[in-house]
Amino acid sequence: MSRHLILDNPAVRRAGLLLTGMAVVVLAIMPIFVVERGQEGFVTNSLLFSFTQMFMMIAMASSWNLTGGFTGYVDFGHAVWFGIGAYGTGVFMTKVGLSFPVATAGGVVVAVLAALLIGSATLRLRGPYFSIAMLATFVAMREIIRIAKPLTDGGEGMTLPPYLNRPLFFYVTLILAVLVVTMTWWLRRTQFGSTLIAIREDEVGADMRGIDTTLHKITVFAISAAITGLVGGLWAYQNTFIDPDIVFVERRTLDIIIATILGGLGTVAGPVIGSVAFYWLRDLMWSHFLHYHLIVTGVLLITLVMWVPEGIVGSLSDRSGATPLGRLLHRDRGARPTTSPADDSDSDDTRGGES
Amino acid sequence: MNQLLQALINGVMLGGFYAIMVLGFSIIWGVMGVINLAHGEIVMMGAYGAWILQENLGMDPIFSVVIIFPVMMVFGYVVQRVLINRVIERPHMIALLVTFGLSIVISNVVKLRYSGTPRSVEGSMRGYWDLGSVTVPKTKTAILVAALIVMFVLHLFLKHSRLGKSIRAASQNREAARIVGIEIGRVYAITFAIAIGLTALAGAMIAPTQAVYPFMGGPLTLRAFTITALSGLGSIPGALFGGLAVGVIEVMLATFVPRVGTNVGIVSSFVLLVIVLVVRPQGLFGGLKPRSPQ
Repeated sequence: MSRHLILDNPAVRRAGLLLTGMAVVVLAIMPIFVVERGQEGFVTNSLLFSFTQMFMMIAMASSWNLTGGFTGYVDFGHAVWFGIGAYGTGVFMTKVGLSFPVATAGGVVVAVLAALLIGSATLRLRGPYFSIAMLATFVAMREIIRIAKPLTDGGEGMTLPPYLNRPLFFYVTLILAVLVVTMTWWLRRTQFGSTLIAIREDEVGADMRGIDTTLHKITVFAISAAITGLVGGLWAYQNTFIDPDIVFVERRTLDIIIATILGGLGTVAGPVIGSVAFYWLRDLMWSHFLHYHLIVTGVLLITLVMWVPEGIVGSLSDRSGATPLGRLLHRDRGARPTTSPADDSDSDDTRGGES
Repeated sequence: MNQLLQALINGVMLGGFYAIMVLGFSIIWGVMGVINLAHGEIVMMGAYGAWILQENLGMDPIFSVVIIFPVMMVFGYVVQRVLINRVIERPHMIALLVTFGLSIVISNVVKLRYSGTPRSVEGSMRGYWDLGSVTVPKTKTAILVAALIVMFVLHLFLKHSRLGKSIRAASQNREAARIVGIEIGRVYAITFAIAIGLTALAGAMIAPTQAVYPFMGGPLTLRAFTITALSGLGSIPGALFGGLAVGVIEVMLATFVPRVGTNVGIVSSFVLLVIVLVVRPQGLFGGLKPRSPQ
């Protein structure tokens, strides 16, 4: 890897941070200028709505990055927490009759409990086994929601009390996105964050040095589920209608993964940059090539992981060299499929060919 | 009692389909260590192939496999050369993401071309054999028989042909196979082509038994993963018994657990998967792969 790439320059990084701060300030005052339908003006309610979706994507991509990027457990069913959060909020609001903030908190608690339960089984698996087990969790959860009809109204879906206030959702999601990104930045600098990286790079080694890897994995999994569950709850209230097929869509996980990889897996700025870029790219595709947009998305994913797996931030910075992502992205995996998922010998890291 | 027997028969029939469907997935995973998340989409392509041939040429699905198998082999060969060959040596996640992207592209291209409307394919074997208290569906019996034949042929091919031996060698020890002069890249490409051909063949065969639509593949990929993890990578008897076991369990649950119907199938596959992965990660049967390196 070459040295002195553009993002390694401290001045560039400071400028980037400053620009981000300014962007947040501009965004924060933007809703003041909102115009009603039919009036002239740039800031429309639908623009606020678009930004709300983008902030949600930033929060979810950053939370996915905690497990997928930092810890190295690539979750293919992350939208399951979104769905559980959405349904938790929906059930607490319509069946129990709680107010929205309390119901959302309830939804987050349900998501965290589910993450602890499911994670304690799936986090025992490694590599692709974990990824597929999470994909299966996602598909299974959609069916479970459908079967649990008395609670969730099954396939008919449930309608939440409508509440149309775009600026409110805009601010809530903006604050959420800022908090989540700040938290990942802070987490990355704590010992907890370093431990996650250690687990990604060499789980057996980390284990042998006395780190309780299981505890760390489950904790970060639960944090990640809580954030995405919260986004799900907000989304449910904003959308006012949820059913299994609009809440549990594979595309949502896909969007999160693509946004993170596009920006830079395992970096703090990556999910933010990736989400902003991917969100507007997707918006553009929706308005111009609606029928092709998923095909383009698929091609984008293939192109990215084949040729630029380190993403925008990763390819512009060598600081990612400080956190080698080789085990996930580059290194020859050596003795590969002989690894059994719960096997204790991590042959992913074995140098040389098949042993 | 009759209900139990009927459920068992239906389960075995479903298992026959799973067995033939899972073979290609199992071989690709066993030989080159790639988990093909576009597997279900290949099944879907095979089923669409049967539908297209029937619509345009009035061909029976049983005979259309003669066309579908070689065409899809070529498709598989190209996909392997362009995409898969470049990710085999890289970490698992890359191959997963690439095939995941491939599955999205395939299903949406098919949807764009043929719309999302579910299609039905008419098989020439219709109806049931009535055995007094139970009935046996003819089409599914044919699928089960075909599965057994395909497996037997595949077994002979892997065991006795020169190419089959190279495939087994490449899966057991890539470096050593390379040293003794096996062209790994070529062997992988041919293996992938055969596996894709087989998968599409399975898709064409099952086309008469279910609705054919662009997004039918997702659950099939998950079941293929479950069955393969259950039975061991690249194991032919494993695919058969794993397929039968999952088929019987799914039908039994759908028959005897009230209110849940067939939707529970995917949930039961998942629970089974996690149990098997945690308890016996190497699968229940041996496969192409030798067990743990030590």
